[in-house]
Amino acid sequence: MRHGKYRFLVGALIVPLALYGVFVLSPYLQAFQLAFTNWNGVDSAPEFTGFDNFGKLWDDPLFLAGLRNNGLMLLVVPLAVIVLALALAAATKGTRVYRVVYFFPQLLSVAIIAVLWQFVYTPNSGLLNGALSAVGLGSWRKSWLAEPDLALWCVMAVMIWSSVGFYVVLFSAAMESVPDDIMEAAAIDGAGPMTVFRRITLPLIWESVQVGWIYLGIAALDGFALVQIMTVGPGGPDNSTEVMGLGLYRTAFTFGKFGYASAMGVAIFFLTLSIAVLLLRVTKRERVELA
Amino acid sequence: MRTKHAFLTLWAALVTLPLLWALMSSFKTDAEIFDSPWTPPASPRFDNWSRAWEQASIGQYLFNTLIVVGGALALTMLLGALTAYCLARYEFPGNRFLYYTLIAGMLFPVFLALVPLFFVVDNLGMLGTYHGLILVYAAYALPFTVFFLHGFFRSLPGAVAEAAFIDGASHAGVFFRVMLPMARPGMVSVGIFNFLGLWNQYLLPKVLNPDPDHYVLAQGLAELAVSQGYRSDWSGLFAGLIIAILPVLLAYVFFQRQIRAGLTSGALK
Amino acid sequence: MNLTRRSALAGVAAVAASTGLAACATAGGDDGDKVKQGDTSAENPLGVSGEAALEVVIFKGGYGDQYAIDAGTSLKQKFPKVAVDHKGIQGVGEVLQPRFVADSPPDVVDNSGAGRLDLATLVSAGKLTDLTSLLDAPSLDDPAKKVRDTLMPGVISDGTFDGKPLVLNYSSVLWGVWYSKSLFAKHGWTFPKTWDEMLTLNDEIKKAGLHPWTWQGKYPEYLNDPLVSLAAKAGGFDLVKSIDNLQPGAWQSPAMLAAAEAIYQLAVRGHIMPGSEGLSHTEAQNAWCKGQVAFIPCGSWLEGEQQAVTPAGFDMVMGTVPALTGSDKLPNGAVMAASSESFIVPAKAKNVPGGLEFLRHLFSQKVARGFAESAKALPVVTGATDGLSLSSGLGSVAEAVKAAGPNVFSYKFRTWYAPLSKALDDATGELATKRINPQQWAERVQKAADAVAKDSSIVKHQR
Repeated sequence: MRHGKYRFLVGALIVPLALYGVFVLSPYLQAFQLAFTNWNGVDSAPEFTGFDNFGKLWDDPLFLAGLRNNGLMLLVVPLAVIVLALALAAATKGTRVYRVVYFFPQLLSVAIIAVLWQFVYTPNSGLLNGALSAVGLGSWRKSWLAEPDLALWCVMAVMIWSSVGFYVVLFSAAMESVPDDIMEAAAIDGAGPMTVFRRITLPLIWESVQVGWIYLGIAALDGFALVQIMTVGPGGPDNSTEVMGLGLYRTAFTFGKFGYASAMGVAIFFLTLSIAVLLLRVTKRERVELA
Repeated sequence: MRTKHAFLTLWAALVTLPLLWALMSSFKTDAEIFDSPWTPPASPRFDNWSRAWEQASIGQYLFNTLIVVGGALALTMLLGALTAYCLARYEFPGNRFLYYTLIAGMLFPVFLALVPLFFVVDNLGMLGTYHGLILVYAAYALPFTVFFLHGFFRSLPGAVAEAAFIDGASHAGVFFRVMLPMARPGMVSVGIFNFLGLWNQYLLPKVLNPDPDHYVLAQGLAELAVSQGYRSDWSGLFAGLIIAILPVLLAYVFFQRQIRAGLTSGALK
Repeated sequence: MNLTRRSALAGVAAVAASTGLAACATAGGDDGDKVKQGDTSAENPLGVSGEAALEVVIFKGGYGDQYAIDAGTSLKQKFPKVAVDHKGIQGVGEVLQPRFVADSPPDVVDNSGAGRLDLATLVSAGKLTDLTSLLDAPSLDDPAKKVRDTLMPGVISDGTFDGKPLVLNYSSVLWGVWYSKSLFAKHGWTFPKTWDEMLTLNDEIKKAGLHPWTWQGKYPEYLNDPLVSLAAKAGGFDLVKSIDNLQPGAWQSPAMLAAAEAIYQLAVRGHIMPGSEGLSHTEAQNAWCKGQVAFIPCGSWLEGEQQAVTPAGFDMVMGTVPALTGSDKLPNGAVMAASSESFIVPAKAKNVPGGLEFLRHLFSQKVARGFAESAKALPVVTGATDGLSLSSGLGSVAEAVKAAGPNVFSYKFRTWYAPLSKALDDATGELATKRINPQQWAERVQKAADAVAKDSSIVKHQR
């Protein structure tokens, strides 16, 4: 290009890259180093222990429970959110006020959401049991977060509740950019609304959906704040809501095993990375087929 | 048609009910919250709010949050836009490498970095300071900002920039006078996301901001939520929750047209 | 240190290539700006510099932090130029852990509450100041008496590690089963002496339309306290030791199994308020305070915690956990107790003499009395509550201390082996919901204890 290109590039990039390097990259690199030690959090000279920490992960019932639960969340949450959000986005066409309201949860900090939902689920004076009694379904009352079979689903419901609004707005924005005449032409050709949606709308907004998959996939591997604030134990009952992030947090700050906790972090990192790449590939192929 | 509206109304109720209920609870006494979670207060207790504002220092936390989030947002937007622009519009060796290194930042579980990060900040003498938090917030918001704006700058037509160069504009001039204004819709969208993210940031200040006088809102609220565990003040907690929610909610309702416009163009890229 | 500073500033490349761990997160600090001990005198036995600032970090939990503010005020009266920087916080560990690593800790820490720092780790890493000089210093109230002679028995030994006193706990905590004196008087009930009586009374309470028991289901450890108390009473001090020493089969011993069975019976017979397993401590305690439930297990902080929501005339009192069998090894008044609110002076504190002097003021009569009044809890300073008219709860706790005499026991495994506590909490939550039976419970906990015993990365202790 023009003269002074590199001078401009260096001038423009040096500050952000330095900031990123100092505050983001360097701590992570140090954490990667810590993963190979038995550092207890206060010791000045941790021992190098090789891959010991990583070996232990596969015998650690708490980490495995977290892995299993995050896995289930990964299967359920993104799909549920995307289906719901697509349906709501399609249904709210022309009624803007709903979309404004649906976005509300997006404005709340997870900590606030968790505190709120704890009051929803609480057995004896909670909103959910109260509502069930009010509509004559008193026999459905449950100790929602205290039953191992239900607790994780309750957590996932909150995740879905808090994410749908954002994707409704995102998808409906994308849908509005689909030219009306295409839809009308299809309708005139005798295509039903479902066919139009599947054959025309969805392929045209697929890029937004793809972004949604990846973000939701990453979010499904987290869940720390919700589980930590809301659930019994936390992480219970009987580890039924344990997530990997909580395991890492507990290992570091309660058990004082910072080296081992860092190893968990490294494992979570590689998992997240693989899943992001996987989702990118899977969703990409589908777009080709549909488009 | 009817089922569609029932569905829409149901979801709207699901979204708003817990919030309205928290609002109502913030006017009740502790005993009323426990005895009858469903009924409105006998008489509204405004003292919950003043107690949260003064004794629980929610007012001070709000002020701290505005400074930190405001500073970090401005910095993130400037640096993020510059970086994304350079990576999107210039070919140079290492471009892809830098881009992916930056994007990788979105995938790291944050508390993997917490302890080492503390020392970096401590060694720079920035622990518990506004500028320390601002820099760290900006650094952690950078990956998403770059990721989002990168696509945006890519999709902008090159002709205008070419014309500006022919007119003798400098690289910086083209960026600030031509490209940045064209990217305004994208900037608005990413600015909104960043604002929400920074406003609700919890883990970073918890570790890097140990001074109670500098607590941000989410931190202060968590404090309130923890201390209710020791000395019950649930009504005060609800009042604090609402105070924390309200400014963002009002800003959203007030600016929702602009926000949606920003989101739309963001989605279109 | 300088190396760290430079490498951090130099950014990615330098850090990536730099120096290894020793210069990064785990780097030690320098002692350059430490306040030296000044001259000592009768007035100033610890040699406090009259000018150096003092940073005090206090866990602000159920007891509040007024007493620590009072101690600061008391110190300032003697040394008006000392700036006392008082911070009352929660989550002590998260805030201070990194500062300990960096060797720039505050001068006094009250290391308490959920998320406190692991004391054993701090001790083994040599991060704490030996408090002997404080204990041998004259007390603030009576120069003829050393500080060590003003403390309740057991307080110093609680904080002594390998012969060195490193920690001083401020408050004495007892665990028992709480009930409302007025409610019991109204129905003509008396607090049971044995577990059989407890179960019989529970049936009666049920007939009266109340729930006999509730517990803080979200945090199962609350129900562990009566469980392990029952076991200790039946099995005596030997059982407590065998548990803490991770002896094989200790959790499956007859006394422990019988204790688990006792708690299990509460669930089996429907004595527990439905939904308890999903309640937070606040919710369960409030249900109890509203008179819906007769009993709740808790430590002696309950009265202070419930202050704001306790109805007038409720008159809560703590009963010691009933005897498990007719042939218990410990007498009936035996009670589980521990001292809490652990005060430490970090070894790398900038102002160690000032920190020690702060503690001298904290353990004075005046500050301790203020603590008893404001926190409604028992300070470990002897005679501090004499002549005070105690509230009903605190009064019952003080009586329980007297009645127990030497039969006071405490388990250490909870602080020594956090992973075991976690497994125990999970198992007890399942036991109380009848999802597992006492045999399965014992098996699970024993397995966790064996795993801790086998894990070479966990430092072991013996008692």
